Amino acid sequence: MSNTRGISFSNIDAEWKLALDPENIFWSLLPRSNGEFMLPDDLISLYKKEHEHLDTEMRNFRFNEPLNCVYIDPTDRCNANCPYCYIPSKIRKHGKQMTWEQLDAALSKIADHFKGAKKKPVIVFHAAEPLLVKDILFQAIREYHGKMLFGIQTNSLLLEKKDVTFMKQYRVGVGISLDAATAAVNNRSRVSVTGGGNFKKAVQALDWFKGYEGLNVIATVSKYNVNKLSELVKFLHRKKVPCVLLNPVRLTQKRSWGLKPDDMVYAKNLMKAVETAMELTQKTGRQIVIGNFTNVILAIISPTARRMMCDISPCGGGRTFLTVTADGEMVPCGEFIGFKEFSGGNIFRTSIDKAMNSKPFKQIRERMVEKIDECDTCDFRHICGSPCPAEMYARGNMYKKAEFCEFYKEIIRQAFKMIAEDKVKYLLRKDSMDQMVMEYQY
Amino acid sequence: MNKANKAEKKTKAAISFHMKCAKTANGLTHFVMYGDVPKKKMPL
Repeated sequence: MSNTRGISFSNIDAEWKLALDPENIFWSLLPRSNGEFMLPDDLISLYKKEHEHLDTEMRNFRFNEPLNCVYIDPTDRCNANCPYCYIPSKIRKHGKQMTWEQLDAALSKIADHFKGAKKKPVIVFHAAEPLLVKDILFQAIREYHGKMLFGIQTNSLLLEKKDVTFMKQYRVGVGISLDAATAAVNNRSRVSVTGGGNFKKAVQALDWFKGYEGLNVIATVSKYNVNKLSELVKFLHRKKVPCVLLNPVRLTQKRSWGLKPDDMVYAKNLMKAVETAMELTQKTGRQIVIGNFTNVILAIISPTARRMMCDISPCGGGRTFLTVTADGEMVPCGEFIGFKEFSGGNIFRTSIDKAMNSKPFKQIRERMVEKIDECDTCDFRHICGSPCPAEMYARGNMYKKAEFCEFYKEIIRQAFKMIAEDKVKYLLRKDSMDQMVMEYQY
Repeated sequence: MNKANKAEKKTKAAISFHMKCAKTANGLTHFVMYGDVPKKKMPL
């Protein structure tokens, strides 16, 4: 049997070549020297010394990370009608809403599940629009904040100034949905059911939060806004937003399929946005981070420190996080809300442990890059993770490579280039390096 | 090639490093996400 493990080589640009063990992300950037690229023998020694430890680290990160986050959709209803929403429109119009008693019961069960755990679990109130039931959300935060950390993802249409004061007081993480720096572009995709869009309210929310440390903006990148990402970064920087995610539109519902931006156009514009963020950070001393690109950087320099669990295989769905829908069903991730066959049980009747060990959850955990054609031999398989299983299931086959495969390949190459150019310090938050320990450095 | 470029070429060397988070991933502030909001205010 031949040994398939080892270091592979690929081009980053004319000046840099990448040497990488795709299995454990041991990497080295090799500069052109006298027209040649050379792998020094002491670097080979370093690889031999570290590769077993890196194998273990990657294995543990992929298969032994515990559940640490529960998304709760306290209502299936929404006051918006975004054309790419992954929740079927029928559910959003007539869906259920949790009562306080139900939300309390769900949180109580979650608290019991995490009793004795070293870390507090993270609870994120998410889609459809959680602020439709804000009274019970805020009651939950007041009652459970000693046991849990909270986040709220909102289109901000119902946000009031007093809500912002409350969220700041309880150190709630907040994600505001905003797709563009102008109403004309934003309101094409962030459509409210009463007409118009959320632009005005989202901008008002940013002004109210005024640089709050827990503030994020989440933009869904589609054909509509793909050419406007850099402008969005400039706008958000002026509004003192510390972090923005420029996430790809998920093609989980058919109506979103026509909105997919071209992979290379998206990659080019994302990198332009990253450059803009770096320039603004250097010029003003106030940082804005493109979270999804930073996650790629982390996947390379510190794989276990990455935060977004879509870009790892198996993904975090049904593994490090799960979603509780408004009627109590536990699904591996919110993207599966339209697929009843992926329910691992109902939180009002079933234990979280039982859901985690259910067949549908195992099915998602078993979806790995090793079983996907092309991904199985791709050098970047443990950096991108080939998202997303729900999206690919909706498109007919979960075991197909990522819809945005070429996009991921390009931004990963660009991430290596930025590491070679010593730009990491502009891409991570200033204080984050204090939390990092250098394990080895060539 | 000017002198500055020549100097840059000479100093280029292979790069490789690996970091670990001193805190666990759940407490990271590389970018603040849900659940990561620091208790105290941070300078912007």
